[in-house]
Amino acid sequence: MRLAFQHRSIAFRLIAAVLAVELVSSLGVILISLGYERHTHFVAFDISLRGRADSVLGAVQDAEDAADNVMLNQADLHLPPDDIYEVYDQFGRLLGRSPNWAGMANTASTPSNTPHGNFFKIVLNGRHYRALQLHGSRIVDPGERGGGKLRQVTIVYGGPTEHVWHAIRGAVEFYAGGSIVLLLVTGPLIAWLLHRGLLPLRQLAALAGRVSVDSWYFSPPASAHLTPELAPLTQAIESVLERLERSFTQQKTFVSDAAHELKTGVAVIKSSLQLLGMRQRTPAEYMAGLERCLADSQRLEETVAKMLTLARFESVQSSPGPQPTADLPDCLRLTVNELATFAALHRVQLVPAPPPPGMFFVPIAAEDCSVLLSNLLLNALQHSPPDSTVEAHLTTGSEVVNLVIEDHGEGIDPEVLPHVFDRFYRGDPSRTRTTGGTGLGLAIARAIAERAGGSISIASRPGEGTTVTVCLPLAAESQASQSNQPSA
Amino acid sequence: MRVLLVEDEVRLADNLAAALRDGPGFAVDWAEDGLAADDFACAASYDLVILDLMLPKLDGLGVLKRLRGRQDSTPVLVLTAKDGKDSIVQLLNAGADDYLAKPFDLGELLARAKALIRRGKGAAHPTLAALDLSVNTLEQSVHRNGVPVALSPIEYRILEYLIHRPRAVVSKRELLEHLYDFNWEHHSNVIEAHVSNLRKKLDAAVPDAEPVIETMRGRGYRLAPEAEQTS
Repeated sequence: MRLAFQHRSIAFRLIAAVLAVELVSSLGVILISLGYERHTHFVAFDISLRGRADSVLGAVQDAEDAADNVMLNQADLHLPPDDIYEVYDQFGRLLGRSPNWAGMANTASTPSNTPHGNFFKIVLNGRHYRALQLHGSRIVDPGERGGGKLRQVTIVYGGPTEHVWHAIRGAVEFYAGGSIVLLLVTGPLIAWLLHRGLLPLRQLAALAGRVSVDSWYFSPPASAHLTPELAPLTQAIESVLERLERSFTQQKTFVSDAAHELKTGVAVIKSSLQLLGMRQRTPAEYMAGLERCLADSQRLEETVAKMLTLARFESVQSSPGPQPTADLPDCLRLTVNELATFAALHRVQLVPAPPPPGMFFVPIAAEDCSVLLSNLLLNALQHSPPDSTVEAHLTTGSEVVNLVIEDHGEGIDPEVLPHVFDRFYRGDPSRTRTTGGTGLGLAIARAIAERAGGSISIASRPGEGTTVTVCLPLAAESQASQSNQPSA
Repeated sequence: MRVLLVEDEVRLADNLAAALRDGPGFAVDWAEDGLAADDFACAASYDLVILDLMLPKLDGLGVLKRLRGRQDSTPVLVLTAKDGKDSIVQLLNAGADDYLAKPFDLGELLARAKALIRRGKGAAHPTLAALDLSVNTLEQSVHRNGVPVALSPIEYRILEYLIHRPRAVVSKRELLEHLYDFNWEHHSNVIEAHVSNLRKKLDAAVPDAEPVIETMRGRGYRLAPEAEQTS
């Protein structure tokens, strides 16, 4: 197992965060334990101090003198040698003190406010003592009449605190050491667990890394979909790949289709020329052959031009600057005028319905708009029998404008209908012969409509005719038809 | 020889048909989609199929598979505008005999067409010989015993067809099928007249010659086998 984490890695950050939290909490534990240990140790110490002071009080005896004084019998006292004490009687006379002390009078003391009695601190020869003052009483001659005499004594008793602190330090050190050991153990453990926990991510990355232009196959590991954190990522990867693959396949198909069209076009011209050169021919035959070649190359030229047009509209980037707009009714009028001769030649009547009043701007440049309209109208004209009509209506909604172009031709086979907007698709090859279409006109129309954010649809009843409907969004200035922006 | 040309691009098909008719003098039937091609191939026997790959209705590969599925061994020359070795390998494995990538050279197409027909009939060399006859299929010239014989195009085509199958009886129906496309009226007496002229011209080339074309009454024609001993 490799635990080489870079400092920007999520695992590293998580481990650092967990360890920091652990560190802070162990510091907290140490502080709390310090407080607790200090409290319990000093409570115990205070109790033992009081006990020792009481035993000093016990050593105060009747002095058996005339004044019924008391005395301190130090012979029977067994106290820790480091402790200090002194005993006064009620008249302030010193009854006795420990040999290692010069007495309270010669010592600086700090009162300590404990609720258990009047304790105070003493510093003696650099050592810290905790001391208490105990007031006690002795009854001298209790067998006498009147119950004897009451003698008050004051005992000051202190003990060095070093060993208390030592015990506290020992306890705290135990906790601190435990925390450090815990940190040392949990660090690698968390790293290992995280490494394991991040396994689905690495598997996902490895599989995603295998996807290439040649192999789009991506099957995420089962864990990726089951892990809530990875599911959105997996879905995103899948959908991105799907879209990429679709667009790649589209491009590939386009290139392959285009290559096919161009090669066929070139093959026609080449074979025409070679056929002409196969044997001696009359000047009239040569002329006819040349004219055919010219017509062939014009067709090829047209195919190339349309392919470039299509590529231009299908490229996604929109040009910077203000969105160009065109007045659709005006564009329709101009295009119908342009196609009038062609329609007359086919003996088809082109009938644009009177457009609704006002200007209806669509977000398409004027020349592109006429490409769209002429492609659709030409298609309708080419598939119309003589002495029929092609109608074009404009209807407007609140935010869209619909253009309906209707012919009364032979209609389109339902099998073919879904493909008519495909590039290079020709519904019926016999049409190619009569109309010379490149199979790109409707694809271009769709590309223009979709680029403007609109849509295009086709409906057909075989034998009755075909209806193409273009739905385009209206540009912002459309409703304000008073604006005198020139169109086309 | 009769060729089925399957090509959806009208202008290219026109040119190819013209070249095949003008040059080697083949009879050409033209199908513009895969289904029509399949119908043509079922209805008549061809000496060669020239098959475009990208076709409406049924693609070239489909036509080829149906053809081979019927145990039809007609040579197939595929025209393709597709790139890539894979599709070529796939085609050859499906039973194609040769391929040409578009845009191709018309001369090369004709040469390959002739070679495929020749191979399909079991001849390796473009000059065919039987008895004392030799037919150069490249120059379309005929010699008998070293003497050139001038023939009309249709007479040459009859002889070329017969010499591919020496000693076999070729019926009038077969000759008609292989020498004319569907656009011709089929009259067997036309064939009779041409064969009669052909026989006269070949026999006139050499004095006291044995007749080379034998008429099997009610069955057809064949290049006379017993003449073999005289040469």
